Amino acid sequence: MKYVYYPGCSASGTSKEAEESLQAAMRALGVEWTELEDWNCCGAAVAIGTSYLLSLALPARNLALAERAESDLVTGCSRCFMNLIRAVHYTHENASVREEVNELLAETGVQYSGKARLRHLLDVIINDVGLDVVAERVTQPLDGLRVAPYYGCCQGMWTYAQFDSTEDPHCFDQLLATLGAEVVDYRLKTACCGGTLSMSRRSVGARLIGDLLAAADDADCIVTACPLCLFNLNSFQREAGKIKGTHFNIPVLFLTQIMGMAFGLPKKALGLQRHVVPVDGLYEKIAAGAAVSSSAASASGAR
Amino acid sequence: MGAQANTVDKAWTLHTPERVLAARDLVGNDFSLCYQCGLCTGSCRTAYAMKYTPRQIMNLLQLGREDEAVAGGSGLLCTACFSCTFRCPRGVAVTDMMTAIQRRTLAEKHADPHIRRFYRAFLRTVERHGRFHEAEFLVRYYAPNPLRLRDELRLGLTLLMKGKVTLKAPKVKSQKGIAAMFRKAAEIEGRP
Repeated sequence: MKYVYYPGCSASGTSKEAEESLQAAMRALGVEWTELEDWNCCGAAVAIGTSYLLSLALPARNLALAERAESDLVTGCSRCFMNLIRAVHYTHENASVREEVNELLAETGVQYSGKARLRHLLDVIINDVGLDVVAERVTQPLDGLRVAPYYGCCQGMWTYAQFDSTEDPHCFDQLLATLGAEVVDYRLKTACCGGTLSMSRRSVGARLIGDLLAAADDADCIVTACPLCLFNLNSFQREAGKIKGTHFNIPVLFLTQIMGMAFGLPKKALGLQRHVVPVDGLYEKIAAGAAVSSSAASASGAR
Repeated sequence: MGAQANTVDKAWTLHTPERVLAARDLVGNDFSLCYQCGLCTGSCRTAYAMKYTPRQIMNLLQLGREDEAVAGGSGLLCTACFSCTFRCPRGVAVTDMMTAIQRRTLAEKHADPHIRRFYRAFLRTVERHGRFHEAEFLVRYYAPNPLRLRDELRLGLTLLMKGKVTLKAPKVKSQKGIAAMFRKAAEIEGRP
């Protein structure tokens, strides 16, 4: 399997660990990736605050580049995915928007016709690679680790509608269960983390983050499908705790980081040293969980 | 539900929000379809902090009172997560209308300068480099108000130490073309 991959600014900057672990985990699964050449920012949730056209043309340029490379485009960032899929749909449905977007794209010498298909990383792992292949690669099952999957808002119905429930998706749960983790269900698993509000209006952004952390508080860690959520949930636990009148210290990981842990990949290759909230305690919990399950296995064997 | 859902889906994208706002008599399109059920507000995580909730804003638009919606500043709290749009049983592009209000509010002189600077600083780095440049963004965002930077010092240093923020600017070959896209968009949209 070969893919052209769009990292996005978050995964190549403040959430570098998402990118590092994604490369490591995909290599371990035998998936071939090439980075989209000369990609640009998709506009995040910010371009739309200034220009409707730019909010479509910025992501469309990346789709046009994928089209020129005659490939589908994969992204591991839900925010980018949302912007890219919006560009796909809006330019498809509206001829005048398509014309204006292409007028902008002409400035960089490309055109978008709508041929390149867009995929989310989670979709590729579950539906192309397959959970059976993931299971074969697991060398260090996440025994006894209680993990809360955070689907986030941005993949929205356009992705999940293709293979999962839109309001109550479970594909991420299945992936985590395949890694041996105990999946924690909680409300707000598809609710927005506030995106860039953590920077533009901290008091509101931190409250949204606090509500989420409190809802998933029962878990040993939260795993996200988006580098921007990863940054938010990691970086503002102090502020969120102040607003909620508590103290949060919940490790938050990217989905390919927890996969890499279960695959037994080295910590550094997964960027685990980069976390604002340290994640080392998780290894101890897995070791303790493994000890319990092996003693349970030998006890039942003795009987 | 299938066939109907498809026709409703297409109503999202028939007109740019500005055109919808400009032509209030587009009956059968967009916010005029809203029957005030409030599912948008129920889906909105920031509605609690808004002067006018998404449902109220749809109502203000129907009444032709969009200036009040703009002045209320609620659009600035929209995170563009699209939950309201996905769920709207009438196929109204609620997020597109909310962000249209957001654009109008940000273009006003009296808009919250801190938030306005956030949007400008962010996009300026994309215009200059083709990609977001954190370090330059922080300088542009906090330069007029360095006291605020003090609050960010702890996180900023952590990010720097963990190698998540670099001073080196990203490099995109088509940077000039991307800057030209910004100019072209302003020209088409009639922005200064």
